[in-house]
Amino acid sequence: MTYAYFFGCVIPSRYPGIEYAVRWVTGKQGLNLDVVDIPEFSCCPVPGIFYSTDRDTWLALAARNLCLAQRGKMEVMTVCNGCYGSLLKATEYLSEPKRMGQVNKVLSKVGMKYTGIAEKGEGTRRIFRPVSVRHFVDVIHTDGVMMELAKGIKKPLSGLKVAVHYGCHYLRPTEHTAIDDANDPVKVDDIVKVLGAESVDYEDKLACCGAGGGVRSHVVELANALCEDKFKNISSENADVIVTPCPFCLLQFDNSQKTFTKRGIPVVHVAQLMAIAMGADVGKLGLELHNVSCNPLLAKIGMVPK
Amino acid sequence: MGEVEKVFISGLSEKLTEDKIITEKDLDSEFATEIIRYGGKDVMTCLQCGNCTGVCPISLKIEYKTRTTIKYCQFGMKQHTLNTRWVCATCYRCYEHCPADLNPAEVMIALRHIAIREGIIPPFVKAAAANLMQFGLTVKPDEAMIKERVKMGLPDLPQTKPGWSQVRKEVVAIIEATKYDRLLGITSKEGVE
Repeated sequence: MTYAYFFGCVIPSRYPGIEYAVRWVTGKQGLNLDVVDIPEFSCCPVPGIFYSTDRDTWLALAARNLCLAQRGKMEVMTVCNGCYGSLLKATEYLSEPKRMGQVNKVLSKVGMKYTGIAEKGEGTRRIFRPVSVRHFVDVIHTDGVMMELAKGIKKPLSGLKVAVHYGCHYLRPTEHTAIDDANDPVKVDDIVKVLGAESVDYEDKLACCGAGGGVRSHVVELANALCEDKFKNISSENADVIVTPCPFCLLQFDNSQKTFTKRGIPVVHVAQLMAIAMGADVGKLGLELHNVSCNPLLAKIGMVPK
Repeated sequence: MGEVEKVFISGLSEKLTEDKIITEKDLDSEFATEIIRYGGKDVMTCLQCGNCTGVCPISLKIEYKTRTTIKYCQFGMKQHTLNTRWVCATCYRCYEHCPADLNPAEVMIALRHIAIREGIIPPFVKAAAANLMQFGLTVKPDEAMIKERVKMGLPDLPQTKPGWSQVRKEVVAIIEATKYDRLLGITSKEGVE
């Protein structure tokens, strides 16, 4: 199955290093997956803003993106929890025929129609399968790819203590996102272990970073207060780095730490950590663009920061 | 946490008054119906056990309690929900822990739908929607980051390529078809930093 990259809004314009890492990891030098670009993708759109204020607009805009994947018979591979939650929820909504009809009426203005991907059924019948939306972590955490990953590690991150933060929309609501156990998720921890690092357990691991749902945009002090709790729990386990599969959680940790501590813990996307272990050029991972310096992380794994 | 309260109370003028006697004319009998129409279908079936409040990250920090907000909605005490409509992080922990499998987060989202339709529109919603209409994405492309992208050898941002105007046109057409621009009072021309 061909995947389509879905980077969303935050990664290309705020953390291009994540985009580089994902392209490198899934590309020829890395795991060699079949992934293509669809440059017409727009915003997912943001669940905290559009899903919260007008469901019809949200669904129509999400369906537009799904139509583009449907045209090429591709699976959407998102690198962000927000995009993942938004698009996956949209496919669920669109499985109701009434909703699908309403959305197609709107989409007819731009010459599109969402039906799902047609597949050959019994005899001459066709079956329409909803466009499948996968998270980057879910794609990596399949048997074949994980074995390739284990083989492709050039620089094991032994001795590195990693605090994994999953992010809410990766886990919940479970009726939509059932890729991992909502109360005991393992997939990012597994990837971290394959990379040779140690995943430390800390209190309230599944707690929210405090950014989502418009909280960071609306009441930044509240977002910072929630992040401080998270930070205290992580720093009490002496973690060297925070790893998350979501760029918005990353943005939250990265910008919020300076408001309550001078010695911040570096925070990276799981794709960036994978790229480091698989031997990518560290100078190109955009680590110097993070507000919290990643030099302690690089020093710990024996790479001299530039 | 005094500062936080100040921030969101200054944004919306209503103030919680605990000692005030609530009379029938303060109640809105259609409130729950309205919430159900905007997707908070579980609002009337809540049994007030309080599991949602115990797991809510926001309830730990400020004077916002999920259970209390649901109770206000059931009684039709609309004024009392005004302060706390925009503080839910939509982490869905309440939904995960509800013993009756209800979804309090969707009730909060329905409250936001109602707020928008009453003209209470936080600036960030307007900014994001205006950016989407102007750039086709909610985040404005950053000049410094475009330079970094060139250094990394990444492909050009799609929104800087000539084909992007078609994408933008489609996004604007969808927003106009659902009348979202009129709801928020924005046009495709204005962009917000």
